[in-house]
Amino acid sequence: MKPIERVSLTLQHKEADRVPVYPLLCGISRKLVNASYPQWSTDMDVCAEAYEKVTEVYDLDVICTLIDLSVEAADFGQAMVYPENEAAHPDINNYMIKDIADFRSLEPIKLSNAPRMTGHVKLCDRLVQSKGKDVPVVAFVFGPLGILSMMRGQANMFMDMIDDPDAVKYGVAAITETLLDYIDALAATGVNAIMLDTLFASQSIMSKAMWREFEGVYVQKIADRIRENGCMVMVHNCGTGIYFDAQIETMQPTAISFLHVPDDCSSYEDVKGKYGSQITLIGHVPPPWLLSATPEEVEEECRKEIEMFKAGGGYILATGCEYPANMSFDKAKIMVDAAKRYGKY
Amino acid sequence: MVLQDINQALQRGDVNGVKQGVQEALDNNLEPRQILVDGLLSAMEVIGVKFKNNEVFVPEVLIAARAMNAGMELLKPKLVETGVKPIGNVVLGTVKGDLHDIGKNLVRMMFEGVGLTVFDLGVDVSAEKFVEAIQEHDPEIVGLSALLTTTMGEMKKVIQAIEDAGLRDKVRIMVGGAPVTSKFAQEIGADLYAKDAAEASFEAKKLVQ
Repeated sequence: MKPIERVSLTLQHKEADRVPVYPLLCGISRKLVNASYPQWSTDMDVCAEAYEKVTEVYDLDVICTLIDLSVEAADFGQAMVYPENEAAHPDINNYMIKDIADFRSLEPIKLSNAPRMTGHVKLCDRLVQSKGKDVPVVAFVFGPLGILSMMRGQANMFMDMIDDPDAVKYGVAAITETLLDYIDALAATGVNAIMLDTLFASQSIMSKAMWREFEGVYVQKIADRIRENGCMVMVHNCGTGIYFDAQIETMQPTAISFLHVPDDCSSYEDVKGKYGSQITLIGHVPPPWLLSATPEEVEEECRKEIEMFKAGGGYILATGCEYPANMSFDKAKIMVDAAKRYGKY
Repeated sequence: MVLQDINQALQRGDVNGVKQGVQEALDNNLEPRQILVDGLLSAMEVIGVKFKNNEVFVPEVLIAARAMNAGMELLKPKLVETGVKPIGNVVLGTVKGDLHDIGKNLVRMMFEGVGLTVFDLGVDVSAEKFVEAIQEHDPEIVGLSALLTTTMGEMKKVIQAIEDAGLRDKVRIMVGGAPVTSKFAQEIGADLYAKDAAEASFEAKKLVQ
């Protein structure tokens, strides 16, 4: 089976030839084209070549276009730092929203003035052209509240949410307007799905009610727009005690990429029982653990996860968050081999 | 009554309420230590327990800690005057290459909430800076934070630098952060791993008592 057939059946909760697999090989793919992190992050031809190569070399079943979590914030005007060997990030000494009053000066931007977002669109376009016939392409988009935090600093924004909720919502609404245009442009490339990273929708950050109020209502609009464009909605969240229920209610995703047990489940087995028939589960090998795990331990972990989740389809073996960008590819290969060995139906 | 007001205001994250309460308590000649323990620290303890139990979350902890800092600004000079000492000292920082500070800041607030004095070195802190801070502040505990798989390895370098400086026996080293595990903590020679800020403060308090 081609990856696109395998994944398609899996998402329909049917058993394919085997469990699909994609360790989130993103920043690490730069190594295959001898690019620095800044080159990979900013030159979309280099980035596309890296994604193409990593998909071919490691026989991945999905391409997910995570570049970094500041793609959108940078286009709003946030000052950035592009380190040589790490993902790009905001300049923490120079957040563009310096004061709680500044939220109200944030306005939607046009994509024509958004080089990083249009670069991402270009990346998706090329990957759909080069790989889309065989491998599903999933465009990765940061959620609006996460984007806002990149312009204000998370701690400040969290306090602002209590001090002046309407000011923060003004900013989230402005970002959401831009994201709707962004979604249209991404969907026009022919990507199969758009994955929304709702970073704060878990117990590790804020209450469920607060998430619903400050991001849920906005991502609902974004998810609706994704579906109107004929794409699937996927969600990524690697927080502890992730809110599956609230996110399913607001976004009705086809799949959720996760790392930890949701707040309303007692174990991973429970996740399969409670949500396995509603959504496709993507996960949940912990990237930090990969650093110290032996090859045998990685294989065993993959085997266990596959055994736990594979029945009836609706499961893709993956890392619960991005594969460590400076590690070797060895453990990614073990994951792929494990899916082929233990994931057969 | 005023201590109860301070306590409630702090739990709400009400900066003005805490400041007014502390000032009123001082004006009424309450012992600074009593204001600290029964007004501020007891409230932070409640916040810590609620945080651990997922009854409050990061935003609520942040505003509570902000209110506590506001109260401490008024109280600190009086505590110094009356000779009230912290239960211990901590040197804390996010390791070199890592710019994340929320987890580290939560730990600082929780530490302060149990009566520890924290020397917060900030983010992107080199091994050398940790060593210098230990020499300067003579802490019982050193806390290292990292949020990235790419920077976790720096923790080992800090521990090695502390050993090389001959300071390892003088401090207990605590590590934490999203990618850090107890297994990793053991491998790099840390004394303690804390899975969250509440656990970190609980363990730290035990260590110094």
